[in-house]
Amino acid sequence: MFREITLGQYYPVDSVIHRLDPRVKLMGTLVFLVALFIVNSWTMYGVAAIVLAVLIKLSNVPFKFMTKGLKSILILLLISVSFNLFLTPGEPLFQFGILKISHEGLEIALKMGIRLVLLVLGSSLMTLTTTPNQLTDGMEKGLGIFKKIGVPVHEISMMMSIALRFIPILVEETDKIMKAQQARGADFESGNIIDRAKAMVPILVPLFISAFRRANDLAMAMEARCYHGGEGRTKMKPLKYEGRDRAAYLLMIIYLAVCIASRFVKLI
Amino acid sequence: MKIIEAIHLAYDYIRTDENDKVVEKTRALNDVNLSIEEGTFVCVLGHNGSGKSTLAKLINGLNLPSEGTMLVSSRDTKNEKEIWDIRKETGMVFQNPDNQIIASVVEEDVGFGPENIGIPTEEIWERVNRALKAVGMESYRMKSPNRLSGGQKQRVAIAGTMAMIPKTIVLDEPTAMLDPNGRAEVIRTVKELNKTQGVTIILITHYMEETVDADRIIVMDKGQMVMDGTPKEVFKNVRALKDIRMDVPEVTELAWMLKNEGMPIPDSVLTREELVTYLQKCLPKQADFQPDFVKKKPEHMDITDPVMRVRNLSHVYQKGTAMESYALKDVSFDVQRGSIVGFIGHTGSGKSTLTQHLNGLLKATDGVIEVNFRDNSDLFKVPGKTKTKGANADTTAFRGGKLISDMSESIKMNPDNSYNEGADKSKNIAVYREEPLHEGIAAGDGTGFVNIYTEGFDMKQLRFKVGLVFQYPEYQLFEIDVLTDVMFGPKNQGLSQEEAQRRAEEALQMVGLGKEFWKKSPFELSGGQKRRVAIAGVLAMHPEVLILDEPTAGLDPAGRDDLFKQIRSLHDKAKMTIILVSHSMDDVARYTDQVIVLDHGELRMTGTPEEIFKRYKELEEMGLGAPQMTYLIHDLKDVGIRFEDRPDTVEEMANCIVDLWKRYNKIAEAEKASGKEAE
Repeated sequence: MFREITLGQYYPVDSVIHRLDPRVKLMGTLVFLVALFIVNSWTMYGVAAIVLAVLIKLSNVPFKFMTKGLKSILILLLISVSFNLFLTPGEPLFQFGILKISHEGLEIALKMGIRLVLLVLGSSLMTLTTTPNQLTDGMEKGLGIFKKIGVPVHEISMMMSIALRFIPILVEETDKIMKAQQARGADFESGNIIDRAKAMVPILVPLFISAFRRANDLAMAMEARCYHGGEGRTKMKPLKYEGRDRAAYLLMIIYLAVCIASRFVKLI
Repeated sequence: MKIIEAIHLAYDYIRTDENDKVVEKTRALNDVNLSIEEGTFVCVLGHNGSGKSTLAKLINGLNLPSEGTMLVSSRDTKNEKEIWDIRKETGMVFQNPDNQIIASVVEEDVGFGPENIGIPTEEIWERVNRALKAVGMESYRMKSPNRLSGGQKQRVAIAGTMAMIPKTIVLDEPTAMLDPNGRAEVIRTVKELNKTQGVTIILITHYMEETVDADRIIVMDKGQMVMDGTPKEVFKNVRALKDIRMDVPEVTELAWMLKNEGMPIPDSVLTREELVTYLQKCLPKQADFQPDFVKKKPEHMDITDPVMRVRNLSHVYQKGTAMESYALKDVSFDVQRGSIVGFIGHTGSGKSTLTQHLNGLLKATDGVIEVNFRDNSDLFKVPGKTKTKGANADTTAFRGGKLISDMSESIKMNPDNSYNEGADKSKNIAVYREEPLHEGIAAGDGTGFVNIYTEGFDMKQLRFKVGLVFQYPEYQLFEIDVLTDVMFGPKNQGLSQEEAQRRAEEALQMVGLGKEFWKKSPFELSGGQKRRVAIAGVLAMHPEVLILDEPTAGLDPAGRDDLFKQIRSLHDKAKMTIILVSHSMDDVARYTDQVIVLDHGELRMTGTPEEIFKRYKELEEMGLGAPQMTYLIHDLKDVGIRFEDRPDTVEEMANCIVDLWKRYNKIAEAEKASGKEAE
């Protein structure tokens, strides 16, 4: 079940999207997310979906791979959709006992669902096309201004990229530990919620210990390779804007403008 | 030129309490004097805790000496200003390939070091290209490290140090977690770097075969250097090495045994070729001098009494899609009761998948697994009734059962096992063979065999009957003390606190961990001890079949020997059926009765070790090898010395050769004598 999480997994193919500057992709993701919350019409959701579809197509990442990330938020999706569906007051459309679905509720729930799905797909597109290291570089450089007010930008981005690198490893390890405890008769499926929480102890303790051991090893390996913070570091892949990055910024501005305009101009 | 020099080097591990007061001081390294010439290939041997890794970290300045001085290119590691220069020219590669790769793309990881020391961008690329080429990983540069094999990951780690243009690379057990192919790959790379680039190599290892070509071997014991010299000089001292519980290469050991029997063979023979040359001189070539060595076949192998029958087992991933792939394909075999079965196959051949089917963790897409335990009666879920707690062990064991042997009895007989208290209470652990039940659902087809995929079969019970010890099982320990951890399994079986504790104590005794360990935290034990706790955790559930997946991975030679002794005694005394998954052909040859060879999910061969290793050419095609002794037999055959039977272990081989040699001498003497008479 853990293997399904695609968030933070780089998909190694070549494409225009892969070659974009990570700062552009970070900004682009941000713009896309913000725009999703600005727009409120079916047409504009359609536009957002089409934009995303085109981007996915351009990225050469198989669509099937993208949707895997959705499985992990399925529960969240169901909860938020059903809350909106049943709890929004308004003119009832259907009524089953105390449960009633209003016209407004249906609309809000649907929009919420679409929003969440687009949101997750949009951000996984970024992590799937950007290596964690590029992402780190992008954040480090893009957020460089915060460094002046004492935010440890380099350290934060380094931590993030390491976290992303180790997610798949720890996921696999969790799977292994679960199986090992199952082989000793552990039961993760039955019992009430307290029993199940208790059943997690034999997984969590070894997992934490292993994570600490790995962290220790990694710190040593990094030190042995002369890592001593961001100071005096050069870059193997320094970030430089190119034509396509500028074009991407332009497209972003246009897209955002259209989205904002859609709130005021009721034509679309 | 001296590149590394240690003068009266000592290192203490210090444990402090909250107030920074020293509570414990352990001397890991004591008065080490050492100098290493630039461009040499040095191997450091020694068992766990001998101070090897500490020495490695001192060279790189990761640890600073408590006493004495460590000089790297005449720079003192204590000098803070020079530490980065020292680390730049002394690369380090560690044991766990996953925990030293920082980036998510191979080339970015190789570039990490040069980035840290402020190399300009263009030069970083040049260095990365060169480093990747030097280790032969250019074609993987854009890959994610997670998709590489262990050997490839270690080569990336080596490239990472090469990109810093080091003078020395220190490798701390780089092959301990790899399979034989990965090991060969890494050692080949390291040797190549030493030869073509002139990099000084310091290789810390447990595998003796890796040291044979070194310029120099250093043996550490209890924090001190106890031997230092060329491989020939060091391996001359077979006895002394064995005294500090070190191994020697098998060929060397064989030559030493033969020499002790009086054969004219010099000290420290390191390679097969050498040994063959010497043997050629003192053994007959004629075909009528066949050694009359006949290998004993284990008696129980003649009786067919399988405890498990696997028939046409397949496991398919993503069936019906274009991505359909077989993890297992049409696998059939029997596991005989009381035998030791070896599973061999390269990484990804389906060994682990197969073992997880045998205890029900994975469900087959096709095929059946039938079991016939001594007690089959509790294998099915009783509808509407929770499992009777604790008591069922007593009642079912007696029902219709015929006593075969009593496990507690056999424990009592074990002289080096002081434990026998409570033996009389422990009737319920007696080992019975149940007459096949001819009643009810458990009877199956009337032969006593039950298909585990039958409706209502309780997989949880199967997991107790077929204990599975995973690779690196110590990583599953979690309780506050050893005893409680071992009790986890029995408690899951629904046994009472007392019964669970009794079983845990008994299991810990079986793996050789006495009372003094029971109240310790599992995390303060040594690697080998932790592993034994983990194995006890499975034994305490009283499995009838015990599956061990690479039980000795990452242990030092002494740990390996100890563990195999324990496994042997479990088999001999507790009459346990054992399945051993291993990469080591030598271990398989030495310990198993039957071998199953898997390749790409298919069962390719099955038979006794002799039968299997006779077909070593086919094994090699699958990326596997054969025991050293098998190769020796073939080398001897090539020069005309033939063996009818195939000894697989060093001892058997030694007996065989000595026997041949003695008979040959007798005849030669007799001929000489008769020649004299004739005169």
